[in-house]
Amino acid sequence: MDGFIKLSNFPRILPYAELFKQGIIVTILLSLLTVVIGFLLGNVLAMMRLSDFRPLRFLSIGRDGKLRKGGLLLTISKFNPISFLATVYVEIIRSTPVIVQIFIIYYGVFGSLIDLPGIKLLGFIRFDRFFPGVVALGMNSAAYLCEIIRSGIQSIDGGQSEAARSLGLSSGQTLMYIVLPQAIRNILPAIANEFVVIIKESAITYTIGVQDIMSAVNASKGALFIIMEPLLVATVLYFCLCFPTSKIIAYFERRMSRGNKR
Amino acid sequence: METRDNLSSTGSDVIISVKNLKKYYNKGEIKALDDVSLDIRKGEVLVVIGPSGSGKSTLLRSLNLTEVPTDGSIFFDGVDITAKKIRNEKGRMVKLNLDLHRQRMGMVFQHFNLFPHKTIIENMTLAPVKVKHVPKAEAEKKAMDLLQRVGLKDRAKAYPIQLSGGQKQRVAIVRALCMNPEVMLFDEPTSALDPEMVGEVLAVMKNLAKEGMTMVVVTHEMGFAKEVADRVIFMAEGAIVEQGTPDEIFSNPKDERTQGFLKSVLNV
Repeated sequence: MDGFIKLSNFPRILPYAELFKQGIIVTILLSLLTVVIGFLLGNVLAMMRLSDFRPLRFLSIGRDGKLRKGGLLLTISKFNPISFLATVYVEIIRSTPVIVQIFIIYYGVFGSLIDLPGIKLLGFIRFDRFFPGVVALGMNSAAYLCEIIRSGIQSIDGGQSEAARSLGLSSGQTLMYIVLPQAIRNILPAIANEFVVIIKESAITYTIGVQDIMSAVNASKGALFIIMEPLLVATVLYFCLCFPTSKIIAYFERRMSRGNKR
Repeated sequence: METRDNLSSTGSDVIISVKNLKKYYNKGEIKALDDVSLDIRKGEVLVVIGPSGSGKSTLLRSLNLTEVPTDGSIFFDGVDITAKKIRNEKGRMVKLNLDLHRQRMGMVFQHFNLFPHKTIIENMTLAPVKVKHVPKAEAEKKAMDLLQRVGLKDRAKAYPIQLSGGQKQRVAIVRALCMNPEVMLFDEPTSALDPEMVGEVLAVMKNLAKEGMTMVVVTHEMGFAKEVADRVIFMAEGAIVEQGTPDEIFSNPKDERTQGFLKSVLNV
């Protein structure tokens, strides 16, 4: 290889501009869908983790109709299978590399279990690659968003719940009308930050053939036998996506915290 | 108002009856409440005083099970609300619906605990509308009437952030009143207030007492206790040390812990 980066190599990428343009669209679409799926699934997971579902609760009540003071039965009665499942899911996702998860979803689930139609979205997005990518990234980010949502709920002062419960609201109503509205407001910046993280992380989906920015780099590399120049183009593109987004988030974060001051 | 000299009443006018209430932390190492028994009668204004850590707030918070006691019972209008299951009229064991009982007890907190994302009027109408299914217009009318009584009618559309501490606490009191409670619990309602705002909150509480509301008040406002209380309870180390009329407690305290406490707070 002669020379590190040659300016003269950049015009050679021009014929592949269309690929990069498509890559930008795919990356943005992929990230948006991922964050939506991640948020919905993350909410479900957070509710599961914070749920008070104890099917063996009856074991905690003694013959006199009062709560037991201790013992094995009291311990067993506290078991919450829904929360346990969600915790297992979150911990497995957070403790394994995202590329392993993507390969399992792509080769394992959609490769052998479910057949996807070979349609193309917007005329160029290969659905059978794009969809597994969205599912895998969405499942991954749900685990992180779950923890964000959960911490948001737990960050609400206990006095808020106490006040709501003292007025006779049920625990569900307290969550719905008092805790969640405040929690979501508090965690919006964190959710938006997760969006930026996903834009960057989505680059890995080119390994299963999703036509994102990184895949455009790969294509031009294969055709032109140059690597640094396409990579620099990708660097600029990712930066232009992420940097303004995080600045906009920071702006809204400042504005919101101003309104929150007591 | 009728005078109440029979302090150990167990008659039918008892609304809350606390029996052998215990609250332990660290497996009994710390005894926040150590075998407290107490009857509260309808229309009574009961003021609980005592040094910090004496268990007075824990006792108050136990009354509507904001704090779950380790042992003992609390009978509210004849129903043991510490039980998970109770016998209904037909003699069957059914789940106790604590929310139904909490609706009948209003609570006012030291730190107001207004809902910051809701306006004052929304703070007040939320529970009546969502819990009691009162029509919204009716709930708002009642809320406005109550706001007028505490002089805050013009702040109905404001958010809690825009209110002073004294205003917030007055709203917190009328928010609880919107549910038409039979008992009002006050957990150090003036302790987080600037001194110049204490008076306005106490005035609202005095009016409430005059109207015959059953009130349990944990406070450091000895003036309020002297003037308004039917009965004063002095607590120390998780137990009731002494109780009596304000006159008996403040002019002639018998226990030396009561004497010491009163000396230290009244001489400030």
